Amino acid sequence: MRRGETLTVIGGSGKGKSVLLKMLIRLLQVDSGSITCFGEEVTTMPEPKLLGLRRRIAMLFQGAALFDSLTVAQNIKYPLVEHKWGNREQMDQRVEEVLEMVGMPGIQNLKPSELSGGMKKRVGLARAIAIQPDVILYDEPTTGLDPLNVRRINGLILRLQRRLNVTSVVVTHDMDSCFTITDRIAFLYDRRMDWTGTKEEALATDFAPLREFVQGGRGTLESDGTEDG
Amino acid sequence: MSAAIKLLGHIGAVTRLSGRTFKIVFSRRFVDRSLLSAQMDQAGIGSWSIAVLTALFTGAVMAIQFADGLEPYGASLYTGKMVSLGIVRELGPTLTAVLVGGRVGAGFTAEIGSMNVTEQVDAISALGADPIEKLVAPRVLACIIMLPLLTLLADFVGCFGAMLVVMTDVGVTATFFIEQVLETLVVADLLHGLAKATFFGYFIAIVGCYVGLNTRGGTEGVGRSTTDTVVAISITVLVSNFLLTKLFLSF
Repeated sequence: MRRGETLTVIGGSGKGKSVLLKMLIRLLQVDSGSITCFGEEVTTMPEPKLLGLRRRIAMLFQGAALFDSLTVAQNIKYPLVEHKWGNREQMDQRVEEVLEMVGMPGIQNLKPSELSGGMKKRVGLARAIAIQPDVILYDEPTTGLDPLNVRRINGLILRLQRRLNVTSVVVTHDMDSCFTITDRIAFLYDRRMDWTGTKEEALATDFAPLREFVQGGRGTLESDGTEDG
Repeated sequence: MSAAIKLLGHIGAVTRLSGRTFKIVFSRRFVDRSLLSAQMDQAGIGSWSIAVLTALFTGAVMAIQFADGLEPYGASLYTGKMVSLGIVRELGPTLTAVLVGGRVGAGFTAEIGSMNVTEQVDAISALGADPIEKLVAPRVLACIIMLPLLTLLADFVGCFGAMLVVMTDVGVTATFFIEQVLETLVVADLLHGLAKATFFGYFIAIVGCYVGLNTRGGTEGVGRSTTDTVVAISITVLVSNFLLTKLFLSF
């Protein structure tokens, strides 16, 4: 991947898109094969180096994965504390900054149970960017959100890429989101990622499975097999 | 056959988890006292009422049965000797472990299992921490510390329950009952019970955490795992009680 670009991985449900993201930072270990991040082999990386890698690559989980027992501020401070990032005042200031960035100032003392789905995703994103990563992995960032929140999250991903120049890998099957935020697309099909290209190339492709996926996802209902009434 | 292989797989995985946990407990990495005290409070202090109630009535019932059984031989005066030995060596640690284990172990599984199915355990790793250090080590250490203390409490309360029954049914005085108990019990009896409780504490925590970390299948999976934990802890405590009793009596 090129620094600062956004790559979107698309593919059907249950095809292994989220697994792919988790393997990139070794939340899941591969059965075979190799993964290289920043020139280093991830699959055999020793624990201290892995910690360093996770400092550079942050992840936004599908359901945000906020810790229920902690407040918003404590959730955002979690990676800062683990990576020994500054003193208490600096951490409080950083929490304020990232909450401003995701458009949710002043909610430090709320618990995750008091937040809506869209708010949780934005706090999850605030937690992911708190440690100033080089890469952010997004696992289905817009799934289950209303159109307004989808637009907000898409806007945030674009703004973060422009402001912080972070590289993003987004896993989604929301084609509208994909075409709004992405620079390049990778299509996961039949356990392989044979097709990668730009948005324009994806729209003009003659690779049948991708064409069907893109057209289906963008609302062309020519042959979906459903009937009215 | 496949069930036996599955069981061996679980035992192997629990052993590996134990190894990683004790490595953290005995290393300087384990410094988060707040996590430990929170777990000691939840697992230990939160379980004292169940331990006391169980011990009180078990001691009382044992005293009724022994007093009745010894009466034809004119030996019901010595009920205190029998009951205290039974409570301190066996019933105190075992009943406390089964009841507290059900409560605490199921709680661990439900909490960690829910975190697992909502990817919070993955998030701990992704944010640069170790889930075993944050979730397993404090729980194991808290149970190892609190189970012997709860057992000690249960021993005293169980003997107290027995004393109340013997005083009212047999008509002996409290002083006579206490003298009988002190004459019968030696320090080794108490230590056997407390040593067993230490092992039970470890089993309760490690099984509860292991099942939680391996929970799959959403909320339905959490419910299934919680039930599995209660069954696994009860069986583990009862089987290990037999082996530990054999081991301790051989010294």
